[in-house]
Amino acid sequence: MAVHKHTYKDYTGPRTPAWSRFLVLARFGFARVYHLKFLFLFSIGCLFYPLVCAAYIYLSHNPSFLALFSIPADRLPHVDGRFFYFYSIVQGALAYLLTAFVGPVLVTPDFANGAMPLYFSRPFSRAEYVAGRISVLLILLSLITWIPGLVLFAIQSSIEGWDWMTGNLWLASAIVSGLFVWIVVLSLIGLALSAWVRWKIGAGALVLGVIFAGAGFGAAINSLMRTNYGALIDLTQVAHTIWSYLFRYDTGTEMSLTSAWIVLVVTCVICLWLLAKRIRPFEVIK
Amino acid sequence: MNTSQWAQLFAIIRLEIWKTFFSRRSLWIYLFTLAPVLLFTANSIYAPREQARLARIAEKHQVALANLTAITRGMTNSVVLEQLGEPYQQHTWRHPIEGGRVNERGFYRYTDGKSDFTFHFNNGRVRGIERSDPETLPQNFLIFATIFRFYFLRLAVFFGCVGIFTNLFRGEMLDKSLHFYLLTPVRREILLAGKYLAGLLAAMVIFTASAALQWEALLWQFDHQTVADYFADPSSAHLLSYLGVTVLACAAYGSIFLCAGLLFRNPIVPAAIILLWESANLFLPATLQKLGVIYYLQSLCPLAAAPDSNMPVPLTRLISATTPASASMALVVLILFTLGVLVFSGVRSRKLEINYSTD
Amino acid sequence: MTDSANITLDNVSRFYGEVLGVNRVTLSIPPGITSLVGPNGSGKITLMNLMTGLVRPTYGEIRIRGIAPSEPQKLFHLVGYSTQFDSFPKGLTGFQFIQSFLRFFGYSSATSLELAGRAIAQVGLTEAADRKIAAYSKGMRQRIKLAQAIAHDPQVLVLDEPLNGLDPLIRAETIALFRRWADEGRHVVVSSHVLHEVDLISDRVILLTGGYVVAEGQIHGVRTEIQEHPMEVLIRCDQPGALASRVFEQEHVVSAQILPDGSGLLVQTRDADRFYRQLNHLALDNIQIESVAPADDNVNSVYQYLIGGEEVSK
Repeated sequence: MAVHKHTYKDYTGPRTPAWSRFLVLARFGFARVYHLKFLFLFSIGCLFYPLVCAAYIYLSHNPSFLALFSIPADRLPHVDGRFFYFYSIVQGALAYLLTAFVGPVLVTPDFANGAMPLYFSRPFSRAEYVAGRISVLLILLSLITWIPGLVLFAIQSSIEGWDWMTGNLWLASAIVSGLFVWIVVLSLIGLALSAWVRWKIGAGALVLGVIFAGAGFGAAINSLMRTNYGALIDLTQVAHTIWSYLFRYDTGTEMSLTSAWIVLVVTCVICLWLLAKRIRPFEVIK
Repeated sequence: MNTSQWAQLFAIIRLEIWKTFFSRRSLWIYLFTLAPVLLFTANSIYAPREQARLARIAEKHQVALANLTAITRGMTNSVVLEQLGEPYQQHTWRHPIEGGRVNERGFYRYTDGKSDFTFHFNNGRVRGIERSDPETLPQNFLIFATIFRFYFLRLAVFFGCVGIFTNLFRGEMLDKSLHFYLLTPVRREILLAGKYLAGLLAAMVIFTASAALQWEALLWQFDHQTVADYFADPSSAHLLSYLGVTVLACAAYGSIFLCAGLLFRNPIVPAAIILLWESANLFLPATLQKLGVIYYLQSLCPLAAAPDSNMPVPLTRLISATTPASASMALVVLILFTLGVLVFSGVRSRKLEINYSTD
Repeated sequence: MTDSANITLDNVSRFYGEVLGVNRVTLSIPPGITSLVGPNGSGKITLMNLMTGLVRPTYGEIRIRGIAPSEPQKLFHLVGYSTQFDSFPKGLTGFQFIQSFLRFFGYSSATSLELAGRAIAQVGLTEAADRKIAAYSKGMRQRIKLAQAIAHDPQVLVLDEPLNGLDPLIRAETIALFRRWADEGRHVVVSSHVLHEVDLISDRVILLTGGYVVAEGQIHGVRTEIQEHPMEVLIRCDQPGALASRVFEQEHVVSAQILPDGSGLLVQTRDADRFYRQLNHLALDNIQIESVAPADDNVNSVYQYLIGGEEVSK
């Protein structure tokens, strides 16, 4: 007859705070991402344009350099809303590409290998899972979007002085808010689509396709129906509209700011709904 | 190839066709290809109703065409109001710019019962004029040509082929079911050929059906006489050309993505690179344009596409105008390219190994 | 038996980058049931994949009854492989799975239907044949894999843990099937972790560890070769103490341990055959010997001696 020794005791030592446990997923997510050399090199490459901008800011205020090449200082583009608008376009596009590569790497293997029951058989919620995965994307995309943007703003402020900085603080807030909103939308799209496709290739293609197809289809709607409403399904145009208002650079867009925000909010809601439907601890086979 | 090899080829095609057409994975491909059909159908429903709406508006407030065309850029909105009266639709808004200032923007819409004019204002002055005339069949075919070139070929067919052809090998690897094929007495080259032909057949059916349905949807709003008059001109039977271009696009892109699925653990990377290359084709110098599949496909399109009005002006200046290749040259290049990629893939497939690690 | 009737591996190595799969494996496997035994990562599956062409050797040559794995169009008429992978083409029923892949062998529709039905009946899945494989239990998936491997009546069967997940009844039937195939002169190469079953069914055993073949042959022959571990012989008798003192007089006896219940003796000897010959003389003087049997002439013991020691020292 078995004798139960009752020697097992619960762990009574210190535990990590419950609120921070989702960061475990983030830590392993980063390891997964940077295991792939291509992604590592690509994310380094995304910092090339901010470097160019930083060099431009420095050199455009360097009288010796300007004199050496006989460049009149007043003919150079100013570092203003327009400058940061185009910065946002370039870095926003790179952020989109990075999302297409990183999103599937983070999420798709969990679904392909049946890991959901493993996560949710622990005291770990679906929200924490999403938070853990999305934090990787948010951090990565921040590192190539608004953080270098703020650094450029700081460089410009250090050269131009305190008055310039206080007079253009709205630029700093535009950089942060405009690009942060974009990377939140991209992150949700990347996660939601990656959760629905079991293989990384398809997920990556879908993320790329959603933006490209939206742009193409939107243009097709505009062309055929002689309207401008097609631009509403082109997320890049929507983002550009918001940035044009935030950076106070009129690009001639016909889209209203309200419509642009509504489109982004609806996109986020759809992505969250897709995630809620997909992230479950069980799978039904029919 | 002997009889049993042909039998094996057909067996592979039969199995793969069924999987490609009826798997859930193909759903988004169907959506992609159905989208332009829905668009054209919606337009065929919308355009006549729009014409009727404009006619009703004109009954209440008609503006002569001559007056409408007399409005030029730079005129103030008060002059426009004076000459044309109240618009049937107007909207104003403000766009903030630097220095704490704002741009006053807006538009006025007028119609003469047939054409629709939109005058865009910036700080009280006309900065742009949009004119929509009633749709004609030649105009609509031009729109079809544009959509075919800039959406259908570059996006729908491209991404559809990514989905169909990368799935043939790499998808099986990810599903861990490729080994079943390699455990049969089928030469690897025949396996590759069978899978490719199955994918090609599926892609051809899906995309040519979409192109044909788009064409049909386009014609739907026009009466029988208008259509008959248009097709009386022999040069206007362009549908077959577009279907042929679609088939060639499926063949060429299909071979590329089949090869990518064989060579790369993550074919999305080469797909993204190819997408960028094909998208940038317009802006490349003539010699480099000829290294893109899209150049030859566009050369075979019978109608020249209209320039993209949404493209920013600086970008339009970068477009490199290149003489399209002759039809025979384009056909030969595409066929040879496709065969070359397939032969290379066949050689490569002999070295195929099973490695189902998920990294 | 000539090599053209055997499965031969000649100095075969396979590396996965810097990781060793198998190294310098030279084998000639005759028809019959041959078991591949070894711990996880020992190279059993690599060996099976090499034999069937799913991976290519880095060095060396492989022939399956004279045919190279690089000629699948010839090889797979002969070979059936039930792999370790527990995944199947999506959306197919068990019957569709077997039947559609039989078409790749060049069989007509009617023949493939008949062969598929027969294979499915052989593994006892007739009732579930029209259900989707995705809805099968683990044991059913194992059986459908087996059915796929045997459907075309191959002469060489390579089976990775074929009894895994099977209930005892089906297990017994499957073992009987393997025995029948072996008796018909087919090759049945099986990998297994269940050592007592390996003992039961195998004609030959190949022990692998760390990518190397550490022993191969019949169990008894392999055991005899392991001279650093004295053979253990279990003797049941009425006077174990008396027998023990007699046994100790023999120089080849290393130890003699009386069983805790006093019903016998466990003797370790360096020369089992000599011990057996001398036992009659040792058992004179009214010592009643009820049974004499080797205690470690089995795969489990061989495994422990050859591989288990290595694992402990790691």
